[in-house]
Amino acid sequence: MKILVIEDEPALLESILAYFTGEGNICEHASDFALASEKIAVYNYDCILLDLGLPGGEGLELLTKLKQLKKRDGVLIISARHSLDDKLAGLDLGADDYLVKPFHLSELKARVSAIVRRKNFDGDNVIHFNEMAVDVSAMKINVKGNHVILTKKEFDLLVYFLSNRNKVVTKNAMAEHLWGDEMDLSDDFDFIYTHVKNLRKKLLEAGSADYLRSVYGIGYKFGDI
Amino acid sequence: MKLSNRYNKANILTSIVVLIITGIIYYVVIHFILTEKLDRDLAVEENEINQYVNTFHKLPLPASYLDQQISYKTLSGIISEREFLNTIYFNPKERENEPGRSLITVVHLDGKTIEVTITKSRVESEDLIRIILLITLGITVVLLLSLLLINRFVLNRLWRPFYSTLNRMKTFEVTRMDTIEQEPTKIDEFNELNKSVNAMAERVRQDYKELKSFTDNASHEMMTPLAVINSKLDSLLQTESFTEQQGALLEDIYHATGRLSRLHQSLLLLAKIENNLIPDFQEIDLKEMVEVKGRQFQELFEKDGLSLTTNLQVVEIKMSRYLADILLNNLFSNAVRHNIIDGYIRVELSSVALIMANSGKPGNIQSKIFDRFSKSADSEGMGLGLAITKQICNLYGFRISYQEENGEHVFTVYFGD
Repeated sequence: MKILVIEDEPALLESILAYFTGEGNICEHASDFALASEKIAVYNYDCILLDLGLPGGEGLELLTKLKQLKKRDGVLIISARHSLDDKLAGLDLGADDYLVKPFHLSELKARVSAIVRRKNFDGDNVIHFNEMAVDVSAMKINVKGNHVILTKKEFDLLVYFLSNRNKVVTKNAMAEHLWGDEMDLSDDFDFIYTHVKNLRKKLLEAGSADYLRSVYGIGYKFGDI
Repeated sequence: MKLSNRYNKANILTSIVVLIITGIIYYVVIHFILTEKLDRDLAVEENEINQYVNTFHKLPLPASYLDQQISYKTLSGIISEREFLNTIYFNPKERENEPGRSLITVVHLDGKTIEVTITKSRVESEDLIRIILLITLGITVVLLLSLLLINRFVLNRLWRPFYSTLNRMKTFEVTRMDTIEQEPTKIDEFNELNKSVNAMAERVRQDYKELKSFTDNASHEMMTPLAVINSKLDSLLQTESFTEQQGALLEDIYHATGRLSRLHQSLLLLAKIENNLIPDFQEIDLKEMVEVKGRQFQELFEKDGLSLTTNLQVVEIKMSRYLADILLNNLFSNAVRHNIIDGYIRVELSSVALIMANSGKPGNIQSKIFDRFSKSADSEGMGLGLAITKQICNLYGFRISYQEENGEHVFTVYFGD
């Protein structure tokens, strides 16, 4: 997928680019308003990551510009402002999602993937991974012709892993993804373990290879062996 | 005690004392003057009798005088002194005794000493004194009444600008940007008061605005480095080949940044609730929300073997959905965090209140449980959850209370007072 990252903080930009590059993704970036509007006008992107506080202009104006250009690029707003007004204004102007800083890169990737899937597959929303076919809209999983039955949390977890394949995903990020970051969870994320264990067992039983491994006790990695 | 009451009291008390003293002096002086006059009349009478005796060498007839009586008594031996004294005067017309004034004197006639007693009625002068006294009293009463009326109406009107300024100060809220309007008044003191109050309000507002924008900016500026740390950690994690020890270190850093960003969001949220900056006010099905929340926390309950029992009635309530979610989150998190292994959580919802009870360790809960950063020693939380909960309750006029009995901790949110 082709992604434009509009972010003025170089360190953050670099991390995002590093995380997204690879696996056939093309990442471009813009760190001020002028450059961003130029790129938006000339190229088409699957998804644009938009930081609202930009030098040279208000990020929300870029959304208006996209609308005027009648482009169908997906837009994910990244903002340091945890403000309901900004969120509503952004979504009203045609943004697809809104993520507040600080965030986990894995969460960002999962959300971008979701936006791109929605934009590109027009209802036929299926993720293919080796012998696995995951129909996100119908919540169905097929492994070598076997139908796998998962709980809602296990399914969400699998989609999250698939969006972040070959990346180490922390338990913290997984917990926040599944339960929301408002939940004020304790720092003990061991209850994630049960879900991961069940998911892995069900996939193995259906005949999939063992793609999940635990990493340093911090998190998990789902990907090619 | 109101200033006007205090002033009234002093005013009336002084007036009464002064008027009474004046009345007494009046009475004494007039009494003295009238007695003087009577005595002079009696002396004139005595003089006439003396002249009559010297001219005609006999005593005048007692009956020939109006409103006065004269009696004679021949004295032998002791000669009494000439003196004035108060006696009783018998009024023959009215046939009654009246207060009288007598002069006792002696005349010498044909070598005999005769004592003459001249008595005049004092009724008229007494009447005069009474009338004067009544008039004085009347004036006193009228004066007091008018003082009261003046105080009531004039003073109240005079003080009106003061009270209106006071009321506006009472309803003054730093977050609302309206100015304290002035009630036009011609009184310098009140004008000055108004001016000072407005200047003060302006200053407070300015300070508040600066503080707020500082907090806002500081928060947002802090979020960016936090985001950088977080993303760098995520990136670092992808570089593989860590030892178990390095992994543990990384995990600790994750926890710390996680805490920091949560702490930060909580503080921002608190500030927002305090300033009433949460806009989405709507009708909420609280019963449904509690049920959803219960399901969300399912894994956390299972982890500690907690059982959840609910007794919920359908309750619709007007508040922000976002804040309702946070309120329930905090109450549930709290019930889980301060529970014991294999404990229980009981949730009751009625139109009056939401009751959240959980088993836990007994005792030693501080009274400042709803204060910011107040938490028990073994708590993993930040000590902001209940402060936020309380603030949300305050915003919507709910009342939250906490009791602990035999290891059961109960939080009750009353909808309304």
